[in-house]
Amino acid sequence: MTGARGIRSVTVAYPQFADSARRGVPCVSAPFRRRQSLAYNKPIPEPDPLSRPFWDGAKAGKLMLPRCTDCNRVHWYPRWICPFCHSRNIEWFEGSGEGRIHTFAVQHRAFGGWADEVPFVTAYIDINEGDRMFTVLRGVDPSKPETIQIGARVRVEFEPASEDVHIPFWRVI
Amino acid sequence: MPGELSRAAAIVGAAEANEIGYPEIPKTSLQLHIEAIKNVSDQTGIPISAIDGIFSAGWSSQIAEHLGLHPRYIDTTSVGGCSFEMHVHHALAAIHAGIIDVALVTHGEAGWSARANHGRGTGRPRGMGDPWDPGSQFSAPYGISGAPSNYSHAMTRHNHRFGTTPEDFAHIAVVTRQWATLNPRAIMHSRETHPQGGPITVEEVQTSRLVSWPLTLLHCCLVTDYGGAVLVTKPEIARSVKTKPVWIAGAGENMSHSNMLEMGDFTATSAAASSATAYKMAGMGPEDMEMAMIYDSFTVTAGITAEMLGLAPRGEGFTLWKDGHAAPGGRLPINTNGGGLSFNHSGMYGMQLLVEAYRQLSGTAEDGGYSGLPGKQTKARSCVVNGTGGSLSTTGTLVLVSD
Ligand SMILES: [Zn+2]
Repeated sequence: MTGARGIRSVTVAYPQFADSARRGVPCVSAPFRRRQSLAYNKPIPEPDPLSRPFWDGAKAGKLMLPRCTDCNRVHWYPRWICPFCHSRNIEWFEGSGEGRIHTFAVQHRAFGGWADEVPFVTAYIDINEGDRMFTVLRGVDPSKPETIQIGARVRVEFEPASEDVHIPFWRVI
Repeated sequence: MPGELSRAAAIVGAAEANEIGYPEIPKTSLQLHIEAIKNVSDQTGIPISAIDGIFSAGWSSQIAEHLGLHPRYIDTTSVGGCSFEMHVHHALAAIHAGIIDVALVTHGEAGWSARANHGRGTGRPRGMGDPWDPGSQFSAPYGISGAPSNYSHAMTRHNHRFGTTPEDFAHIAVVTRQWATLNPRAIMHSRETHPQGGPITVEEVQTSRLVSWPLTLLHCCLVTDYGGAVLVTKPEIARSVKTKPVWIAGAGENMSHSNMLEMGDFTATSAAASSATAYKMAGMGPEDMEMAMIYDSFTVTAGITAEMLGLAPRGEGFTLWKDGHAAPGGRLPINTNGGGLSFNHSGMYGMQLLVEAYRQLSGTAEDGGYSGLPGKQTKARSCVVNGTGGSLSTTGTLVLVSD
């Protein structure tokens, strides 16, 4: 695939648990956090020891991806073991943040905060590095699904959902 | 005298996770599983890729997906602490039967770390409700809500790849409704059983409320109550009871993924693999099937599965319905109870498939009471039954035949 160009390799030893174990938050930030949670009323992912490097990257505006150093293949979602060759030597690197639409749907029924957003387009994205991610697709018209093209190029962007968690969304370019 | 299964299989390795007890850095249940699996593979020299049967207390599809495996035997028996001894028993039977060669029995339980992790990463069955499950982190944040919102992506991809249309798949709903009108127990039997019951047209399917484009409401199954049970026994007993036997000629199972994120080909399922196993065991092929019971959670599920079962060429599964072959009086009746689309669908519909297949093959589908009205009974003496689970994730196929 095309993603090898311009990728910076950053090896992160894991488990990266120490950060996520710290739950104490200075009281001065509490009102800010409350406003944040009011502003973002959809499910906010909780980083776990395995995925922490991804979410740390997202907060910095980088799409970090796991790659096996034995077979060099990229996998998504994060694994404790390479799903292709069963090596446990996995590194994190910054991906290109680009991909193409694999398939999509228009959601007319949703729950929680997403119920206010219907209709919206969900899509599976073939990332340039070779595996697939799920997203709510941006830059498209949900009322005209016939105008959305499988294979169209997309780029990732990140939306702050809380102080800690910025969620990746993909936009048609 | 030892029994037939005695010494039919052996345990050849046993290993533990890297750190157990009170790990300094709290762990997740999944992590404990994977560490132990890697270690037992290293210990025995048996590569993980050689594992073809997975046995765990509720974790099997997640573990298989995490390892990138497509096992032929998937057991999630979870009945408390004795589950693992039972897994060995089931593995013994599966190996003796020649279904698998290498069984993995695995356990990971972050009993202590759960405190430090505030209950997360402990792996409630199938990860449901666990905020650290991959699906919770990488699918749920994007407004996905239940099966329709997932399966619609498969229809879009099928339309793209094969030039099919949602209207093509709507014929599946129309024909399945025809069968429902012959089954008084079907929710959509008639206007008497449901305000929207009775026959429907392709136009009505397409103009019903959009749920998840391209799926409208009538492309989706019902949500109902159901209870069903079957008894399976050995030939000597089967021939002595007052009911007719329906023989299990072939059986197979497989899986392609757990979370739809890992679905490689959105137009295909593991039913291709599970049915290949079942047909081989039966010594029969799709051309020998006189009817089919195909899990129809959505029209797209049935259409794709018909292709996987070899009943129609790739990209043309829907033609079985569109051309009337699957309809009452057709050459290959499919979903003769009215299907999950129009008969009954309780969330897990596989039992409904079995009950109807038994009724058809035993010749009791027209019996009074619950079974149906005249015209429902097919003449079929062979039936391929295929259940699909998860998000087009897992499949189990049976080839059933009557005397
Ligand atoms: Zn690898």
